[in-house]
Amino acid sequence: MTREFLTCREVEPDLIAVAMDEASPPAAQRVDTHLAGCAECRQELGRYQEIEGAMTGLRRAPAPGSGPTLARAELEHRLADLRTRLVRYGVFESALGPVLIGATEQGVSVVEYLAGRGGAGVKLARRGAEAVEDVARTEGLFRDLTEYLEGRRTRLDWPLDLRLAGSDFQRRVLEATLRLPFGAVASYARIARELGLPKASRAVAQALRHNPLPIVVPCHRVVGSDGDLVGYAGNRIGLKQQLLSLEGIHMKGGGRSPHVDRDAVYYCHLDDTEYCIPTCGTISQQSLGNFIVYASRARAEGAGLAPCTSCRPDLHPLPA
Amino acid sequence: MADQAFEAVVAAHHGEIHRYLARVTRRPSDADDLSQETFLRAYRAHGGLAPGANVRAWLFAIATNLCRNHWRSEARRRRAHEAIGHRDERQDAGGPEMEAELEQASHKIGAIVIALPLKQRLAFTMRKIHELDYDAIGQSLDCSAESARAHVFQALRKIRRGLGDLAIAQVGRGEPSA
Repeated sequence: MTREFLTCREVEPDLIAVAMDEASPPAAQRVDTHLAGCAECRQELGRYQEIEGAMTGLRRAPAPGSGPTLARAELEHRLADLRTRLVRYGVFESALGPVLIGATEQGVSVVEYLAGRGGAGVKLARRGAEAVEDVARTEGLFRDLTEYLEGRRTRLDWPLDLRLAGSDFQRRVLEATLRLPFGAVASYARIARELGLPKASRAVAQALRHNPLPIVVPCHRVVGSDGDLVGYAGNRIGLKQQLLSLEGIHMKGGGRSPHVDRDAVYYCHLDDTEYCIPTCGTISQQSLGNFIVYASRARAEGAGLAPCTSCRPDLHPLPA
Repeated sequence: MADQAFEAVVAAHHGEIHRYLARVTRRPSDADDLSQETFLRAYRAHGGLAPGANVRAWLFAIATNLCRNHWRSEARRRRAHEAIGHRDERQDAGGPEMEAELEQASHKIGAIVIALPLKQRLAFTMRKIHELDYDAIGQSLDCSAESARAHVFQALRKIRRGLGDLAIAQVGRGEPSA
């Protein structure tokens, strides 16, 4: 087995490998061959093995410095802070175009219609959040949204984080809007009245214009006092129309000025517990601001309302 | 959102990552900062981690990357200071602290390791102290497992040269020879 005889310099890597106990059989063989004729390298091997042995002591020895306790405590603090701020988001292609869905640990905090796929993080940053793309954490939300947009579910029962709301007033508007069930429509004035601020319908409209959670906080269910589908996601009335159609709301005057078809919905007056057909009493002459309207009897009854005992919507339902 | 899992990650690995950084950086405060930054980054990114991923190797890779970036900006800063004829006070402040550290521990090997070029120092520490495999080390250093191994060997060779005739049995116990 006297193939090539490596010089001391050439054999050193193999020697180190042997000392570290990670030499391949041919390397070990080369070392053996060399050591048989080289006392100096036999000693070298011993030295490397001693270094290897000393590593065991070093592994057990504490690292220099103050130890990790303080750093760990500080880390916990910074993590806690990051947890409250960090929005994990994904950008998905929905039936309504590209949407961004983002959530903090507390809940879903942002849904945004995007013009394109770019600039997502920028918009979030403008809202004062730290954002990180995390499709794994958000694709479940997108599946829910897809089911909703395909009519396979009527609720998005997500825990929400409304801290991206700009003000306390906006938060109250969002919360009032959240109470509007699937298939119901109210006016800005109606929401304002619900907040005890009957003159604030413009402020309500403004607050909903900056809704951080469209679809989830159903601002599309809030319309003008004459039933007009005003202002949505900038000026995308078409989206509002699509979302309302999905809920069975009948609309008229398509194109640029669609509005709720007042003859094709059921009415609930202010805090009444009954619902009516449009021809009951003076309903047709009143502002929509006095009512919440429903797409169907089922939706009205789902909201806990009983048929009116004078117009009897149960006996004279609207044509479907 | 299930983030409790991340607390377990911190609990399991912070101590080791901190020790690693304390060995490869030259100022204790750097180890504190970099270990925090490692876990803050990990927290941001762990959603994208594949289910059976090796979390420990992944954390080492983040820590190693931060360490290298830190080193680069330190070097840039030092050069800039030198260019305008400044003495680097922060570096001076770190110096004696580190010396004392080494005196106290009197780990001759530690002293040699800390003076190694960064990649060798990182590779050596990951391999010989934390016993990561060469694949993981290669991933941390953006190189092949083979190059990672070469860095470790190079480090060992320098340690061997640096020790000279010093009795290694003593080194382990930390008694510096005359």
